[in-house]
Amino acid sequence: MKKSILLTALLGILVAGCSSTELQESQPLNPPQPELQSMLSDDNEGTAFTSPELNLLELRGNPLLAKDKRSIYFDFNKYVVKQEYMKIIQAHAKYLNEAPAANMKIQGYTDYRGSHEYNLSLGQKRSVAVKEALNSFGVDDSQIETVSYGKEYANLDCVEQNSCGEDRLADIVYTVE
Amino acid sequence: MNKFLQIIFAGFIFFSSSVLHALEVIEILGGKASQIPIAVMPFKSFGAQKAIGKINSVIKSDLSRSGLFYALDTRGVIAAPNSDKEVNFSQWKSLEAQFLIIGRIDFLKKEKVKVSWSLIDVYKQQTVLSGEYVGKEKQIRAIGHKVSDKVYERLTGSKGVFHTKIAFVEKYNNQKYKLNIADYDGYNITSLLDSKMPIISPKWSPDGKKIAYVSFEKEKPVIYIQEIATGKRKLLANFKGNNSAPAWSPDGKRLAIVLTYNTNSQIYLINADGSDVKRLIRSRSITTEPSWSPDGKEIYYTSNQGGGPQIYKFNLESSEVSRVTFEGKYNLYPSLSYDGKLLIYLTQDQGNFKVALQNLQSNQVLKLTKGPLDEAPVFAPNGHMVLFVYKDYGKTTKIGTVSINGLKIDPLPLGSRQVQEPAWGPIKN
Repeated sequence: MKKSILLTALLGILVAGCSSTELQESQPLNPPQPELQSMLSDDNEGTAFTSPELNLLELRGNPLLAKDKRSIYFDFNKYVVKQEYMKIIQAHAKYLNEAPAANMKIQGYTDYRGSHEYNLSLGQKRSVAVKEALNSFGVDDSQIETVSYGKEYANLDCVEQNSCGEDRLADIVYTVE
Repeated sequence: MNKFLQIIFAGFIFFSSSVLHALEVIEILGGKASQIPIAVMPFKSFGAQKAIGKINSVIKSDLSRSGLFYALDTRGVIAAPNSDKEVNFSQWKSLEAQFLIIGRIDFLKKEKVKVSWSLIDVYKQQTVLSGEYVGKEKQIRAIGHKVSDKVYERLTGSKGVFHTKIAFVEKYNNQKYKLNIADYDGYNITSLLDSKMPIISPKWSPDGKKIAYVSFEKEKPVIYIQEIATGKRKLLANFKGNNSAPAWSPDGKRLAIVLTYNTNSQIYLINADGSDVKRLIRSRSITTEPSWSPDGKEIYYTSNQGGGPQIYKFNLESSEVSRVTFEGKYNLYPSLSYDGKLLIYLTQDQGNFKVALQNLQSNQVLKLTKGPLDEAPVFAPNGHMVLFVYKDYGKTTKIGTVSINGLKIDPLPLGSRQVQEPAWGPIKN
């Protein structure tokens, strides 16, 4: 039954998100199955989080979150959410669960190497990885939109400056209705 | 002329020995010696002494860029013939010219010109082709391109692309973007769009009247289709998540696009009017950069299902997926020739990004460029040249053409513009 709720929610999102498109009823979209095991790093298996370090008041009512509380960084060509970010993600999840009017946009980025479209997809994998981590803390997709900017804001000198890691991230941004 | 009709790439037998459909080939023995030596004389002006640009330079550049011709230096030739009767054939033979183009420009009233030209076979000592064009003075480059096309078609059997247009994105003032169109050789640049947000993936419609592109102006990637003549545009796709990588079907009625919703990049089909979106490929991996086969039956695309990016193809009838690239760990940005026989793409070879050319029948792969930072290769509509972006050993980017025989790489004169992702417009009949 959970599957059909997810399917309905997904179809609802699609209809809401576009102007004049009719979905092909004969080809229903399958809801994505979150791959929790592959999204979390290995040493996180089985760990239960208790109270997050972050003060929720810091998040609530603070439209500009500090950079270190909303940016998740990734290794080259990878889109696995590292263990060190899970507490931050859990704090965001708690906020979203307690504030149903809050909407989150997760923006994925890559460094400059590779084509624009492939990097758009890679950036998307990163934003989806963060979303799936939020799903694992009970957040529903209806409060999250995942997008990617790919390499459009990458620093072309990052190799010389040894700073390419700073371009490989997913950023969390909130809008409240 | 038929003796020109077999290509062998630098000792590497690329094609089967039968002539391929509409792709003429040229016998190459190596380097300059194998290109057709041609001399293009300055066209003498009659009726006025105005500076309107040298039409012979346009024709020389065109033929030279194709990689199939070697344009001789004609400075210092004493007798510049203006008609067939004035040609000193023994002089041209001694200069080792195989063909000669001569002509004249007559200035007419109301800023018009009449251009008369002849293509002369030096060995046969006869005019093989001639013509006349009337146009405005400011159209002298366009007239030159027409002459080049006629000469090219006569000597190779293939349509020339010297009259075609290209589109490309320009980044300027660090954070602004323009979508430009220009002549294929980089002249006559006009802007279709000026934006504070990135623009990527421009693609010409098959009829050459519209361009699809991705814009980030809504703070996420969405797809527009813009009519070139009027500037009017329509939002094709703004679904939840990303909307990108538009690719027109050969009949122009549909586009393959990449949507994400709240998951990974997946390829969909949509009608050109924005209706009837349907998912094409189901995959847990990234699938992006769709590129249609010319018969409309297959879509080539990039996926990382094998670990790193590789090129696959999807059959629209059978839904069968098969892998296309096998050499190296990083292959993406597929572009097919108009006859479906050749594929070019970007490959990473020992750390260098290069343009690769693959024969889809034999699956042999040739590196067309050297890198280190080449990107975004696209075919000319006659399959004889490739347009791509490359970086000099500075920070400047350049768009350039590389001939399909690999013999000629030439930048476009775009100055110091920061350029990306060119798209090559169709042949106009």
